[in-house]
Formats: sequence, C-alpha cells, structure tokens
Amino acid sequence: MAPIDGTYDYDLAVIGGGSGGLACAKEAVNLGAKVAVLDYVTPSPQGTKWGLGGTCVNVGCIPKKLMHQAALLGESIHEAVAYGWEVPSLNDVKINWSALTESVQNHIKSVNWVTRVDLREKKIEYINGLGEFKDPHTIIATLKNGSKKELTAKNILIAVGGRPHYPDIPGAREYCISSDDIFSLSHPPGKTLVVGAGYIGLECAGFLNSLGYSATVLVRSVPLRGFDQQMASMVTNEMEEKGVKFHHKCVPLSVEKLESGQLKARWLNTETKEQSEDVFDTVLLATGRYALTEQLNLAAAGVNSLSESGKIVAEGEQTNVGHVFAVGDVLEARPELTPVAIHAGRLLARRLFAGAQQHMDYDNVATTVFTPLEYGCVGLGEEQAVSRHGADNLEIYHAFYKPTEFFIPQRNIRNCYLKAVALREAPQRILGLHFVGPVAGEVIQGFAAAIKCGITMEQLMNTVGIHPTVAEEFTRLNITKRSGKDPNPASCCS
Amino acid sequence: MSNVICQGLRSPVRRLAVLSKTKAISTSIVHNETILVKNNDEFVNKVMNNEKPVIVNFHAEWCEPCKILTPKLKELIEPLTNLDLAVVDVEDNAELVHAFEVKAVPAVIAIKNGLIVDKFIGLVDTDMINNLIDRMCGKKKAT
Repeated sequence: MAPIDGTYDYDLAVIGGGSGGLACAKEAVNLGAKVAVLDYVTPSPQGTKWGLGGTCVNVGCIPKKLMHQAALLGESIHEAVAYGWEVPSLNDVKINWSALTESVQNHIKSVNWVTRVDLREKKIEYINGLGEFKDPHTIIATLKNGSKKELTAKNILIAVGGRPHYPDIPGAREYCISSDDIFSLSHPPGKTLVVGAGYIGLECAGFLNSLGYSATVLVRSVPLRGFDQQMASMVTNEMEEKGVKFHHKCVPLSVEKLESGQLKARWLNTETKEQSEDVFDTVLLATGRYALTEQLNLAAAGVNSLSESGKIVAEGEQTNVGHVFAVGDVLEARPELTPVAIHAGRLLARRLFAGAQQHMDYDNVATTVFTPLEYGCVGLGEEQAVSRHGADNLEIYHAFYKPTEFFIPQRNIRNCYLKAVALREAPQRILGLHFVGPVAGEVIQGFAAAIKCGITMEQLMNTVGIHPTVAEEFTRLNITKRSGKDPNPASCCS
Repeated sequence: MSNVICQGLRSPVRRLAVLSKTKAISTSIVHNETILVKNNDEFVNKVMNNEKPVIVNFHAEWCEPCKILTPKLKELIEPLTNLDLAVVDVEDNAELVHAFEVKAVPAVIAIKNGLIVDKFIGLVDTDMINNLIDRMCGKKKAT
C-alpha cells in the first residue's frame, strides 16, 4: 500500500531487466533517482532459462549474430580456397555444435555477469523475481523459491518484452523448440523444420542451413510480412539457392514424436488444401511473439490501455495511468528492436528525472535481417510508399550489383540488389533505402542518419562513393523503375 | 595482527579488515594447496589472515582467458612454500567482487599481511606472473 506521507521505496521500479528496462534504470540512476529492477525468466516449455539482460542478450540479437557469424565463417573457409588458401581436407570441415553453443553461451554468461556487476556498481537494486501489480504504486515480486517481496515506487516502468508464441496444434509445446531454446540446444539440431517466415524464422533457417543442418521453412502467408516484398523475395531466393526449402501458404497441423525420437510434422497447404508430412530431428516454431502483459495483473494498477494482441498502447511511453510507463517490445505498434527500446528508455528517464522534453522518434528506424545474405533497410518499403503517396508521386531507383569479392569464388550475385524509394518531385527526398547483400547492417547504418537529415536523391547522387565497397552502390543509383531500363550492371568502375 | 590499510578501497573491504582483526583463529592451511574461496569468512581467514602472502585469482568458468591463467597460476604457485594461491569464482562471491572492484576477469590481486600490494586485469604472460611471485616472496621489504 502506498504510504500516506507519499514516500515510496523507490523513485522508479522497472519490471523487466532487458534492453529497455536496463537503459532506463541506468539513465535514471545517473540523474539521481533511486531505482529497482525486477527480472525473471519463466522457463520455456523445453525448460530453457537464462540470466539477466533480457531477450537481446540471451536469446535474441547477440546469440543470433554470433551464429550468423559462425555460418558466414563456414562459407568463408570454402571461398578461401578460390583465393589460394590451401585448406587440407575441405570436405572434412564441419561445425561442432556443442563447441559453438559453448562459446556462445560463455559469451552470454559474461554479459550477464557484467550487467549484474554494473547494476551493483550503480546501486540499482536487482530483484530476481516475477513482478506484478498489487496496486498502482505497489509491486509484488515472486522469487524462485516462492517467497514474495513487496516494493512501492513513485514511477513504474513496464519493460517485460515478449516470448515466442506457440500455435495451438498437437505436439507444439511437448516436442517443438523456439528461439528461446535453439541457441543453447544441448544436441545438434539436425534436419530442422522452421515454422514461420518472419525474420526470426528466416535467420534461424539461414544459419542452420549454412552450418550444415538441412532447413525447411513453412510460410503461412508471405515471408517477412510488413517488409518490402520485392526485397523479401530476394532474401528467400538466395536462401533457396543455398538449399533451404520453402513451403509457401502452408500452416502446421501437428507434430508427433516417432519411436526413433525424430519428429513427424504434418502441414496443410491452405491454397491447394493438400496435406503433407515429413520427418525432422527438430521443429523450431517462429510464429510470432506475444507481450508478457497477462501476468502483470495490470488491472490492479488501473492500466487498461491494451491492444487486441495484449500489447500496451502508450503514447510517449505513458499508459492511461500517469505514473505507469511502458517501453520496448511490450509496446503496441512500435518497432520491436533493441536500440529502439534503449533509446526510448533513456529519453523517458530524462523526461522523468531531468525535466527533459524530447520524445522518441519511432520513424525511419533502420533494421537488418541477418539471413546469410543480409537485408538492411531504413524508411518506407515500396508498397508502403505507394499506399501513402501514390505511385505517380514516387520515383524508385534500383540496381543489381556485383561485389568485387564475389567474383573469385564465383559467389551468386543474382540477389545482390538495392533500391531507393523517393518522392518524384525534385529534389526527390528519399523515403526509404533497401539493400540486400553482404554486411547490409553496416551499409545501412550511416544512411539512417542521412534519412534523418532529409537526404534527397540529388544529394545521394552527388555523394562520391568509396571504392571498392558494396555501400558505394547507393551513390551509383541512376536507373529508375519507371524508365524500364536494365538495372543490371555492365561492369564495375564505369 | 597487522593493521589493515586498504588503499583506495571502499568500506566493504574495511569491514572485511575489521573482521580480520577481531577473529583470532589459527588456520590450518595445507601448504601448497590452492585455496578455493567459497565465502567471505573463508576469504578473511585464509587470505586476509594468512601469514604468507596470497595471490588471489578472480575466475569465471565462462571466461576463456581464465581457463588459461588459472592453471598457469596453480602450476607456478603450488610448488612454493612461502606463497599461497586463492581462487575466487566470481559467480559465487558477489560481495568480494564488489569489495575489490573487480569489473573484468581474470583479475589477480596480490595480498600481503592483509594489504593489497598489486593488481592486474586480464591474461598476462608467464614472465609477468613470475615477476609478481618474486616480488611477493623473494625480495625483502625496504625499511
């Protein structure tokens, strides 16, 4: 119960020790606030759990990028031969799954530890318990041993993020894994079925395939829904050409365990109405994520601004209850990205404790899909731009390109493509940039700043490229879709 | 029992230091065996109260350089009769980590008569370790 004289245990209590929660907590403490952070990981259906740091550190961005890198290194070993490296018994080169997961998990544990030490240094109270509201200013944390701890706070931040969604089909929870489990899987995944073609499904299928584990993807509607679809098809084309099998317009029906220990998955093609099945060693569900709002007992706080999907609607990160805020993946209609949560969390802390006015700008947030051939983008996709501005008011510049390094090992260049979506009227302000190719994340990052400055096609075309890079291809854009001219490169340096 | 002057450290170490003054326990440390520190009391008894100088190695299982340094330290120190080695697992000893401001592993802190006489962070080569060992037990202190 909040004390009558208005003094609370903490100036800020943060429920969720992930990217958003920790960023806000640390900034708040820097500004003189007394802060507590609650963090708790409910084990996955397969029993996986992890330490402090949230999804990104433990079962998201970090292990994903490491496995993506492992996959790329495997490809590099083969390419090296074309460059003259004498690689003995190239056919014996294979991944040791447990060595990989051990390295990845060791790194994660070091990050968990540094995070805990950092909280301790900054005198942020860390409570390893599952938080829920008792009343608008009181939170109850249930610790692992069942005991409860109560705390009151003047401001409360909900930063609980989300967890993988399990489809309601037989065998899902009993036999299937999710991104929660793949990065610490105690045995090699073997032949894997990935259900879902959002970025999580595609990234997992991508690195698994490159590591040598056969991957099949079930796509319910379209791959990378919400992303520019032309770019999405480049990504999936590349994956197919690398050996990943796609079953489009298919939904899973059931997963059963065979005597051999393998899993038999059945699925339905919603167009042809045909049922199919196959046997896999692993079935990885990547069918979306849901926000962990149900267990918060939001009613006790009077928070009722929930969307249909259970996420929190919070303009300016503030819920309908003035002192209760939300940040990160738990928010409705905001990009579910670590840097978004971190930035929004920091700005919120400054508004709460330093009288700052600046609000989070959720537009033009750059992102990258880390499939073996990456897709980076910032701003609007072509479909979005067309629906917002009308095709007549747009000019789309595009090009295929050939990375210099790809020639020698004869790497596939068919899906190396980029495009700029701009307003047609001079100076042709750029609305979106899209790039499929190596190191797409590195390529797009700088352009995110350019978009923030309102870069135009005139400015882009007047920018001198760095040679030889793949990023310079943006400065070489000159062919429009409207012209109908061939966007394939004649040669480099011309 | 020497006075404990913990240079530049915060009160938790002084707290440990006060404990070392009040407890008059005769420790029966097995010579040459590495001390595996499991809690604060053990640290105070076997490290702060040790008549011999002690090299304290902060270690973590998930830390690759630690897996190289810790066995190396054991190899060089266990044969010595006038110097002890204590290994502190950072996951099990959060308070010690905080008291000694350990922010990265591996970390090595040399303690003589309850005083910190040296500290280094990260993996170092055998020469540096040997230098440290010599300084801890070889040479006489200047008066």
